[in-house]
Amino acid sequence: MNIENTKAQMRKGVLEYCILSVLQHEDAYTTEILSGLKDAKMLVVEGTVYPLLTRLKNAGLLNYRWEESTSGPPRKYYGLTESGKIFLKELDATWAELNEAVTLITNKKSN
Amino acid sequence: MNKTININLGGIYFHIDEMAYEKLRRYLNAINASLSNDPYGKDEIIADIEARISELLSEKIKDDRQVVNEQHIDEIIKVMGQPEDYTFDEELFNDPKYSYQSTSATKKLFRDGDDKILGGVSSGLGHYFGIDAIWVRIFWLILVFGAGFGVLAYIIFWILVPEAKTTAEKLQMRGEAVNLSNIERKIKEEFNDLGDRINATGERIKNADYSRAKSGAQDIIDTLGKVLATFFMVVGKLIGILIIIIASSVIIGLIVGGFSLSTIGFLGIGNEFAQFPPFFYKTTVPIWLLVTFVFTAVAIPFIFLFMLGIRILSNNVKSMGKTFKLTLVGLWIVAILGLIFSGIEYSSKVAYDGFNTKNHDLLWTSTDTLNIKMIGDDQYADTKTMRKRHGFEIVVDNGVEKLYSSKIKLDIAKSDTNMAYIKIRKEAEGDTRSNANQFAEQIEYKFSLTDSNLQLDGYFLSNLENMYQNQEVELTLYLPVNSIIYLDKSTKTYLYNVDNVDDIYDDDMVRHHFKMTATGLECLDCSEIIKNKDDDELNMKIDVNGIDIRVNENGKKSRVKVGENILLNNKHWILTI
Repeated sequence: MNIENTKAQMRKGVLEYCILSVLQHEDAYTTEILSGLKDAKMLVVEGTVYPLLTRLKNAGLLNYRWEESTSGPPRKYYGLTESGKIFLKELDATWAELNEAVTLITNKKSN
Repeated sequence: MNKTININLGGIYFHIDEMAYEKLRRYLNAINASLSNDPYGKDEIIADIEARISELLSEKIKDDRQVVNEQHIDEIIKVMGQPEDYTFDEELFNDPKYSYQSTSATKKLFRDGDDKILGGVSSGLGHYFGIDAIWVRIFWLILVFGAGFGVLAYIIFWILVPEAKTTAEKLQMRGEAVNLSNIERKIKEEFNDLGDRINATGERIKNADYSRAKSGAQDIIDTLGKVLATFFMVVGKLIGILIIIIASSVIIGLIVGGFSLSTIGFLGIGNEFAQFPPFFYKTTVPIWLLVTFVFTAVAIPFIFLFMLGIRILSNNVKSMGKTFKLTLVGLWIVAILGLIFSGIEYSSKVAYDGFNTKNHDLLWTSTDTLNIKMIGDDQYADTKTMRKRHGFEIVVDNGVEKLYSSKIKLDIAKSDTNMAYIKIRKEAEGDTRSNANQFAEQIEYKFSLTDSNLQLDGYFLSNLENMYQNQEVELTLYLPVNSIIYLDKSTKTYLYNVDNVDDIYDDDMVRHHFKMTATGLECLDCSEIIKNKDDDELNMKIDVNGIDIRVNENGKKSRVKVGENILLNNKHWILTI
């Protein structure tokens, strides 16, 4: 059992949820999503996000549009679709449950 | 001093030095390889990554004249992560029951160029099945000497299976996951291997040992292999082209034919143009659908053949999607089932034989010769051509479309009474006995007797709806003893196994007079030549028509005929039998 692997797995497990949450209030382009995740120390390397974005998009949870930018080529702006919003709500609930459960268990252990 | 390269990355233009370019290229290739189990979004993901890299680079490169160097690329790789970071674990997304598949890398069949005797097929297969190549080689030898087709199979493998050239392909060949650490390990291995080879070369020079002999032989085999590979590649491509031509012409032909036939069937016109197989008319399935079934059933295998040809011509052609293939197979099965259904339905339509028999007395002055003629009707169709073709036509009789057929058999027999009569037996097939009888009854057949001229119709008519019920008319003319008949030329194709005293063939009976005797029909004016008496006999006739020799030996008959077209000149012809 590799500790790095386990850490990465844990992060990756909730990454999907985090990406959807970042887009919860407003659309964002890739770099904004990345910086949001990086600021929160959710992300170590950026690479992981790209396949995930494409997959979420292919699953119909995200969609994107091209927007012109003043400082370079057009940017891809991602946003939540209706099913993405529903999906996120469910994840919110699940996360809350999970959080509670984990806290409970880990607290018990330490006591 | 370093060479620089200009690149367009995600829509932005960069100067990049050669080393940095190589590094970036390897990095992107590695990502590409690590995403290979995600074929759908791959291009899109790569485009996104390139766009992001170009964004990161343009943050670092403020001046247009500044060159991207290796350090920049290293920094970017640090931000973006190693190629294996890009493979998001499948089990988080896929159905749990499939998750185990993704944890082990899928194996692909390649030829192993590093371990080969001819083309590396055996070692490639060995990797694929996880056995030592020697067993595969033994198997090939057994095939070659045992059955012979091993050579062909090997060549086909050689042509069709690509050689593992890149490190990623070599890893896939062994079924190892394509990630950076594996690639690194593999490259190290190869490097060591190269070192070994260099050492071996050194040793080779020193002493002529086994390895030298082996590599010397292997060099020759390699060259031979290359020549053969080129040759078979050319032959293979030619075969591919041939397959494409055949398949595409069949498909085009089917499309044109199928479309026009469907149109005809759909519009309900043109039975005169199109001759469909019998069951096309007899099933509940509409003709256009049946045509589509036939088209589908034939075309789909050719579509696959076409794709095969394309694939042979170039391995870079993308394979048809799985869904597309499955859809084609599904359609094909539907078409085959549809045809089977129609076939069964059709055969049930002709399951029963039915008939309708009537006798008609014939009255004429019995001392006169009865002239027998079979008359087709020119207003309907040309009987002669028709008999050769389908045996029936669709004709218009008083504004009604009818089936016109000339499937008539004429037999002559001795009457038991003093009366001459003709028995008309109409036959048909149907889905039930009574329907078959009814179809038979609906056959319209006429004849007439004026003075001593018996005019039998050379055709009969029946309802168009009864098409393909195998209608037939059998005529039997019963003659009292001593009556004399003359068979007109027109009866020739209708006579069917008419018994006569001299065993004259049906075809030879026309244009002759016959008398009904107590023993049977006897020819009055036939030459001996056409008679086939049972005793040993040699008949020879030489006249303006040529030479006609008939041999009858213990019932075995044979005939030699030399036509009038052969000129004998002044030379003698000697015929030895």
